[in-house]
Amino acid sequence: MTSVPVPGLAAVSPLLTRLAAERATGALLRDRGTLFLEDGRIVHAESPSTPGLDVLLTTGGGLAPERWNEALSEAGATRQVARFLVDSGGLAGGEMEICHLAAIFDAAFFALSPGSGPSRFRRGATHWIGSMRSVPAAAVERETRRRRELLDAVWPYPQLDTAPVVPRPAAPGQIVTARQRALLARADGVRTPADLAWVLGRPAFHTLLDVRRLAAAGLVETPHTRPAPPPAAPLPDWMTQAQSPDVALLRRLRDALEASL
Amino acid sequence: MVNVETALKEATTTIEGAIGAALVDYGSGMALGHVGGGKDLDLTVAAAGNTDVVRAKVRTMEMLGLKDEIEDILITLGSQYHLIRLLKGRNSEGFFLYLALDRGRANLAMARHQLKKIEESLEV
Repeated sequence: MTSVPVPGLAAVSPLLTRLAAERATGALLRDRGTLFLEDGRIVHAESPSTPGLDVLLTTGGGLAPERWNEALSEAGATRQVARFLVDSGGLAGGEMEICHLAAIFDAAFFALSPGSGPSRFRRGATHWIGSMRSVPAAAVERETRRRRELLDAVWPYPQLDTAPVVPRPAAPGQIVTARQRALLARADGVRTPADLAWVLGRPAFHTLLDVRRLAAAGLVETPHTRPAPPPAAPLPDWMTQAQSPDVALLRRLRDALEASL
Repeated sequence: MVNVETALKEATTTIEGAIGAALVDYGSGMALGHVGGGKDLDLTVAAAGNTDVVRAKVRTMEMLGLKDEIEDILITLGSQYHLIRLLKGRNSEGFFLYLALDRGRANLAMARHQLKKIEESLEV
């Protein structure tokens, strides 16, 4: 690993970098998600933009919802839900760890999305899922950046990520895989990629990527509206704060302009 | 309990000729864990690239109308074997193990068998 800063690779979240360096424990709350840290390493992440581990394991996996609920009621209070699911035979330890890791990186991608608003840190806060595995904050930041670049490399239309997914008929002889068919079958022209992630029980980033690939292949409509203009630099207070105009100054200005004509 | 790191360590220490191993998330192209590799073989890059290999094979099978599933994929280089093994558990579909082997030292049949055992250990 090199620690030389690469131009254009600004820290995804300076606060996260600082918390990792000071080996903090607690919850980093951002607009689009929360990262849970233990000794500066990320042990869990969740985001309203993506299905949680419960959906991934039940809808997307083979876990019966009753087993999840049982684990919540039995081990939620002691914050050992993940451990309980494994120990009670609900699912294999390896599978739990794999799914949890995938969920962490998925939620972190949204929690760390640009413009995600101010960050707050609640020191000492932990999550009831319990800690299974931890990942370095730097790895999460690196992966978040890679994912952003991957989406744009596949098909650079970010408006696809939030617009309803509208399927297009396949060209004669065009191949649609089973995984794509499952997504397209549920794309009713109303559901967005995030909605589809919930229905399919798949991580939301994976669904964004699938939708971009489908759009690149012409199997999903690419929205024709132009991408929203980048947010303008914030205007200084003296422009936005309503103040009564300085009438005397304006009059002097007008008189001076008239005099110079 | 077998976790990802111990499984990957087992792959690189017990399989003869192993250069590196990774567990890859097919949906994102990310290595959830990797062991070995070193400067000659960047396993995070290999993870993303081999996701495209798996996707291409899935598409080809679809084209051929083969109603079957991939157990593993072997790529033979001049000096290495690369072995991709898809996980089959109900909760671990969408992930694969990736193993790079030194062709001169590896026993391919043995390596495939051992990798299968390691895959199973993650799912029980």
